[in-house]
Amino acid sequence: MTPESNPRAHPLHAARIAVQLAVLLLFLVLLVLTARGTAVADRPWLAKLFLASDPLLLAGAALAGAFTVALLWALAVVALSLLAPRAYCGWLCPLGTLQDIVDRLLFRRRPSTVALWAMADGSGYGGQVRRRDLSAIARRAAADRSKNAAPHLRQVKVGLLVLMLVVALFGAAAYGWLDPNSIMTRSFGAAILPMADSAARAGLVAAERAGVPGAAGAYDWAVAHHLLAQDTDLKEGSRYLAVTWGWTFTVVLLAILLVQGYQRRFWCRNLCPLGAMLGLVGSVSPLRPRVSSACVRCGRCAEECKMGAFEPGPAETPYRGVVQECILCYACARAMCPADAIGIRFGSPRPLAPARGVCPSRRAMLGSAAVGAVLGPAMLLDRRAREKRESNPMLRPPGALEPDGDFQAACVRCGACVRICPTNALHPSGVENGIAGLWTPTFIFAIGACDYRCAAKAGDAGGSANLCGIVCPTGAIQKLTQTEKAEWRIGTAVFDRSRCLPWARGEECLVCEEQCPVAPKAISHETVETANNDWLALDEDQRYRYEQLQAKRTAEGLTREEEAELAAMPPKTRPLALPHVLRDRCIGCGVCENVCPVDGPSGIRVERLQTGATGWGGRGKGQGAGPGPRARRGRGGK
Amino acid sequence: MTRPLTRRDFLRGVGAAACGAALAGCAGSVAPAEGPASPLRARPHPQADAWASRIGLAQGAADPAAGVRTAIEKLCGPGGVRTFVRPGDRVAVKPNIAWAQGPETAANVSPEVVAEVVRLCLAAGAGRVKVFDNSVNPASKSYEFSGIEAAARAAGADVAVCARHRFRTIRFDDPRVRNLAEWPIYEDVLEADVLVNLAVAKVHNLSLVTLCMKNLMGVQGGDRAKMHQDIHQNLADLNVIVRPTFNLLDATRVMISGGPTGGRPDYVVRADTIVCGTSAVTVDAWAADPANLPWPKGHHDLAAVRHIALGAEAGLGTADPSRIEVAA
Repeated sequence: MTPESNPRAHPLHAARIAVQLAVLLLFLVLLVLTARGTAVADRPWLAKLFLASDPLLLAGAALAGAFTVALLWALAVVALSLLAPRAYCGWLCPLGTLQDIVDRLLFRRRPSTVALWAMADGSGYGGQVRRRDLSAIARRAAADRSKNAAPHLRQVKVGLLVLMLVVALFGAAAYGWLDPNSIMTRSFGAAILPMADSAARAGLVAAERAGVPGAAGAYDWAVAHHLLAQDTDLKEGSRYLAVTWGWTFTVVLLAILLVQGYQRRFWCRNLCPLGAMLGLVGSVSPLRPRVSSACVRCGRCAEECKMGAFEPGPAETPYRGVVQECILCYACARAMCPADAIGIRFGSPRPLAPARGVCPSRRAMLGSAAVGAVLGPAMLLDRRAREKRESNPMLRPPGALEPDGDFQAACVRCGACVRICPTNALHPSGVENGIAGLWTPTFIFAIGACDYRCAAKAGDAGGSANLCGIVCPTGAIQKLTQTEKAEWRIGTAVFDRSRCLPWARGEECLVCEEQCPVAPKAISHETVETANNDWLALDEDQRYRYEQLQAKRTAEGLTREEEAELAAMPPKTRPLALPHVLRDRCIGCGVCENVCPVDGPSGIRVERLQTGATGWGGRGKGQGAGPGPRARRGRGGK
Repeated sequence: MTRPLTRRDFLRGVGAAACGAALAGCAGSVAPAEGPASPLRARPHPQADAWASRIGLAQGAADPAAGVRTAIEKLCGPGGVRTFVRPGDRVAVKPNIAWAQGPETAANVSPEVVAEVVRLCLAAGAGRVKVFDNSVNPASKSYEFSGIEAAARAAGADVAVCARHRFRTIRFDDPRVRNLAEWPIYEDVLEADVLVNLAVAKVHNLSLVTLCMKNLMGVQGGDRAKMHQDIHQNLADLNVIVRPTFNLLDATRVMISGGPTGGRPDYVVRADTIVCGTSAVTVDAWAADPANLPWPKGHHDLAAVRHIALGAEAGLGTADPSRIEVAA
């Protein structure tokens, strides 16, 4: 509600809306600016501002044994929540702001419509609608549609928080599925932004084709400033969309936004584990919604608050605010209460016990923890199998922690690496590697290849070389220097001789060797005399004639006419270059698989084959590297 | 008095504009092609026929820019670039900017060579010089690392990476074409008055060498990996259709191993040579000859580089070293 429509609104109400919009704008601007990786190499914090300051990620990483100092930014949010409980949700969280915007645009009835209905059904307005009534009606229309039904649903978020953190304790960072910053990064970075990119591109291209002056210039400008993807860098048809899961992320986001048709901020009050955590932290805050003894028990606050943060007190006592639910939006103070009894004020930090069913009971908490304690190990039942290189199909980004269990404990599935990968090679995985691996990054080399120098600058061998490592908020993907990245083994290329053109069909090709970026090349070829397809296509009698002439030439020599006849026939064999992978040089960057001209599955594919000498299982490490803690953490190089 | 714009008016306007745009798009696509002649607008060099087996050569110049000037003057006389660039011309300069590597690995044309060609074209009165390549590695990185973007821009050229929607599929209607039916070719190549082909001398794992003829793959869009099945014939076909006004080969340094990507300075040897000509085939025939450039021993002999012979067969130049007239 804008201040104009409600002159009694608290000044912080307008300030809150302004801050919300500014922070959402910041999120979107950073998303676009850092999406192509251009602004990131020098200022990596730009890309992980929201994730690195997320207390849920800090807590989860600490419990999963994947703590990194970068996450200590989250302590600022914890400190904020100690003083102002869940102000983060009301003022800063981009997902919260997005919900408010959708609620405002889609679900609030306009005052005029409400007034017309009121007039039509003659409910007390008698055809005369005064301005003050309109304002009251508008407020009523903005009130929660569910009338704050089902308050007991609110404990679900606490249960989810406990469950996810217990699962984290067992080493699966599954809380990343539900973290709001993770949801925003994932759905915007890997779905909404690519769709917007395609739409903007299609518009500019159509304008250019229609001869609109300036359209071509605008396109070039946008590409030169990395606002649009440089489409010749992408394999035809690929548009940064996380092909396997992009639509799922969109649907999840839409569900969170549209379930507000039932209840405003449904996600925040009932499901968000970060919200639950900040509410619990804020339980001791002195600043909270307070209802004075002037309360006339009209119940409007309980009905209208978009978080359902008010509830009736025990009989004949004033209503009271629930500190764990209030997001300090300042819609209630002054504006909502007819008796001016509500204020967000400092005072005793002693928590009032909320009504039954609003916070989970001890039994419910223990139950959630127990479910987590069963689910965690269950999700990780196949951990041993997954950590075996032979049975893990995942091609992890360069710099990913090793063994894979360590990676999964640290990866919060935010999709920041998927978003930033400049060739669209990284994608969220499905459950190929167990349910605990859902949405962790993996390569799809048919779509893009790992760029040998994605973060490097001209003439500069220093600095970090892998964009995915630079933007990873938790260090699940470590930063690599150019030298480390050039040696990091993602996998090993292997020829599928039933598909590779020279091997399978006797056609010349060698595109894989041509584009192999490793120096010296990890693919080489041997030229051998091989059956000539043109000769094989000859009829039986022509083949017979060919053999006859050849035999005659060896035995007694040919006449001039016979020589000419033989020369006109295709030779029986011809030289053909057959490619081979040189195991010790291959780093599994996937360029060969990406550029292979075979339609469908490539004739050469990167797999997690053992890369060192037989019997040595090392990957990303030179032969003989000690299994020290540093090596275990997956640092590349020697 | 003006009525306020209603939503209906707005939608109607947008609809009309969209229809107009669609119609305009259709009109563009059904416009008759201008005769069966070359799909390229670029003029051949006025002496193209007379100089079909002639090359200009500069050897031993330590400064690549001086080498460029010398080679062009040897071929064209004192008129130099003015023999093929007229005032106001739109000039497309297509250097090899395929790889995101620095000049020290010699995977791309030297930035000095590109800059000098741009300067000469502008000095001859060219209205606009565009420099571009459909890079193999990510384009903006290739442009940046090669040093070509900065050098060409400083010399006064327009430098932009290619955009996929600006490739136009061209039918390869010519009796000399054997394999390729059609291929997307970059708009700026089709519309330039003058097309200058700037290649770098490297070994290549499949076509043995990559010189001027192979360099023209950088004007192609689509799935270029599908050029590599019978690459020699496909290159000859491409060169039948895409005929540069002028070809210049930067052999100031030659990549002798690991081509075409290379990636190591020790794969590079200095040769201080610039070759130019009106026929890509003739320039390549001279340059591919192991007698003329420091190709590794036993790597190839001229006859093995079949695309040159096939190009000569199609009448694009001469593959016979004894018939090449060297102006040095």
